[in-house]
Amino acid sequence: MPNKRQQTDAGIFIKKLFTQYSYIVSFVLIIIIAMAVNPNFFRWRNISNIFTQSATTTGLIALGMTMIICAGQIDISVGSQVALISGFGIELLNRTESIWLMLLFCVAMGGVIGTFNGLLVAKGRMPAMIATLAVQTSARAIINHFGQGGPFTVAGGNANAPFYESFRMVSSGGISVFGNRVSYPMIIFIFMSVVFGVIMRRTKLGKHIYAVGSNEVSARMAGVNVDRTKIMVFAITGLLCGLTSWLYSSRLMAVAAANAGNQFEMDAIAAVAIGGASMSGGRGKIIGTFLGVLMFKIINNTLVAANVPTFLTGAISGAIIIVAVLLQSQRDKRK
Amino acid sequence: MLAELKEIVVDFGPVRAVDHVNFSVRPGEIHALLGENGAGKSTLMNVLAGTFPPDSGSIYVKGEPVRFSSAKSAMDKGIRLIHQELNLCNDLKVYENLYLAQEIKGKSGLLDSHQMIECAQRVFETMGANIDPKAPVSSLQTAEKQLVEIARALLFSCEIIIMDEPTTALSGRDIKNLFNIMRTLKARGVGFVYISHKMPEIFEVCDTFTVLRDGKWIADGNIADVNEKQISEMMTGKALLESDFASRKSNVQPEIALSVNNLNSDGIKDISFELKKGEILSVTGLHGSGRDQLADALFGVQSYTGEVIKDGKQIKGGIESHLKAGIAMVPRNRKERGILNDLSILDNLSMGFFNTKLKSLLISPKKERGRFRRRQQDLSIRADRPSNPITSLSGGNQQKVILGRWLEADADILLFDNPTQGIDVGTKYEIYKLMLSLSAQGKSIIMFSSEFAEIMKVSDRCIVMFRGEINRILNRDEISEESLMYYSTGAIIEEKQHA
Repeated sequence: MPNKRQQTDAGIFIKKLFTQYSYIVSFVLIIIIAMAVNPNFFRWRNISNIFTQSATTTGLIALGMTMIICAGQIDISVGSQVALISGFGIELLNRTESIWLMLLFCVAMGGVIGTFNGLLVAKGRMPAMIATLAVQTSARAIINHFGQGGPFTVAGGNANAPFYESFRMVSSGGISVFGNRVSYPMIIFIFMSVVFGVIMRRTKLGKHIYAVGSNEVSARMAGVNVDRTKIMVFAITGLLCGLTSWLYSSRLMAVAAANAGNQFEMDAIAAVAIGGASMSGGRGKIIGTFLGVLMFKIINNTLVAANVPTFLTGAISGAIIIVAVLLQSQRDKRK
Repeated sequence: MLAELKEIVVDFGPVRAVDHVNFSVRPGEIHALLGENGAGKSTLMNVLAGTFPPDSGSIYVKGEPVRFSSAKSAMDKGIRLIHQELNLCNDLKVYENLYLAQEIKGKSGLLDSHQMIECAQRVFETMGANIDPKAPVSSLQTAEKQLVEIARALLFSCEIIIMDEPTTALSGRDIKNLFNIMRTLKARGVGFVYISHKMPEIFEVCDTFTVLRDGKWIADGNIADVNEKQISEMMTGKALLESDFASRKSNVQPEIALSVNNLNSDGIKDISFELKKGEILSVTGLHGSGRDQLADALFGVQSYTGEVIKDGKQIKGGIESHLKAGIAMVPRNRKERGILNDLSILDNLSMGFFNTKLKSLLISPKKERGRFRRRQQDLSIRADRPSNPITSLSGGNQQKVILGRWLEADADILLFDNPTQGIDVGTKYEIYKLMLSLSAQGKSIIMFSSEFAEIMKVSDRCIVMFRGEINRILNRDEISEESLMYYSTGAIIEEKQHA
């Protein structure tokens, strides 16, 4: 019920900032804390590192996860997808020695797995949590089986292999802008964020995603192809998992079947949550997720700089998620 | 005085649903609460039953001021509301539903199902209802479910029973039965509040009445002192407007816009009819007559066999092909099936355009705003800014946005499924006028409705359904409250069966 009392413009602005744009408030707060703890925070190297780390782990996936969550779905298979695709991708690279063929393979395989997820949910009428849980378990089992516990290593660890260096440069190479080196993953992450922002705001697909997440029945009655929309969001997230696998493999150069991509689903979902999306679907912004991803890395980065024991960093990240999502649930309650 | 409501005010957002209303129930009376949809009857009764507190005003039970924090606290005072929508858990058994949240426990602390079943059995016997307390609710007919709801009120010896349109799903015999039960309880001093749109029932069973309109108290008195016409005028407050519709001219053109041949689907059999260009065809029938299913089938929501032919071509199944063919629907249950509540007014309106006509890859917000302004004028949508959420609008304006959605998609056959549900009287008339002006533009309209009053206002013809079939197609001069009631209760079909 609306508040009938007169409010000043400034009051409205502040209320809006804390409710609808809570992610901006959180972001600024975290930056201030990070600067206080780590005097080198604003060094270009540090910033570039944060972006590169984001892009090669959960940054891109979180963009797809935003779509999935806005459509009222969830995907907990992304981490295992990355493990599976990275493992097979490296195998393929070692045989074909072509990094571009590997990229193509990774993206295609991600697309196939994502589409499969989407089909289970849309056509199989399975709850997304269960469908993707099954895919998560299966994908991890398959890659564990092929890896037999050991890692998949690019060129068997032989740095003299002809493609070794060129593949390493995928994640560590970059271009120079005003004397600062901008890594390829950073460029990809920023570019994709812009693309996804435009898709969500300015295309039919984006509008359909919000419509389906808001109310499936109403969306259907408005002529939205609900099944196709659901399949699309899972498929797109699969593609992003594929792209991430390529970058991730390049950064690690050796991927362990058992723990590659571990916790990626949780980190991606957390980034979306911190970014202010409604967990029940219908509302959420790419810019929120973009900042959410960075916040996550900044927190880690800062905790390391502050010498917080590694095992405890998770607890602090958890606390931050709770605070961010509490802010958001207050907003939802007021509705 | 069993219960009294004084100066009750309820606000829903910017809408004042109940505006300083006084209301009272005496022991041993059946009090009719009258008003059109959206007049505030249900809201007022929800206040009396403790579902939500009033924004201001006070409630007295037997002279004592009370404050209900929940439906439970009102039940403890002997007040029970039987909702319009049945509130039963389908997967539980009948007796489990009856005792839900008020289970009888044995000495051991476990449930005493024997005693519950026995008590339930006794209540059903006093009601003369043949329902097995151990049957799962999902196996019951709608009428039986209604009786279970009533049994729930009897079980806990309530002193005030509020019935919100209890007879919509009941047949003649069940209604008689219900009235007998009500009279018996009345003699024992129980007070009833009875909400119904069916005038004959009101005059049969009620003693007193209160009329609400647009959330305001209009009149009260004894049923014996008034007639049907007076009540209708009090309810609508628009005796003049009625005549506007009575003298309206028909826009029916000779061309056939849509023909439906032997349509069969879940809940409907062998439906065939033709819709002319510019015609307003109503479809009515009681709850469960197949009216909802026919609406869904014609928009492709529900799959069917048979032919739906428009412009000489048969339409394939599915919503998308119906939309492509120019058939669109303003769905019933606006909140659950119509609006996209997280989206802006603009996106809600544009969704129809996006899904049928958008050619470019990117959406231009500027063009969308232009489209909105045009429709805002056409349909006189009262909205502040198009970027506001759709939920900031009143029900009637939300409905106009959904209608605008399909006008943007250039639909020329518009299905209005229960279009004025929960909409205030003024906006209702605006929607009727919109329908008339659309038909004058050559668009054809099928309106699915259970409100005889609105059917009589706008229709050129009316299909009356009974048990999934077309019982009768009435021409405009044949449409009357009596004929609609006669055919929707299955008169002709039953006669045939007896012959």
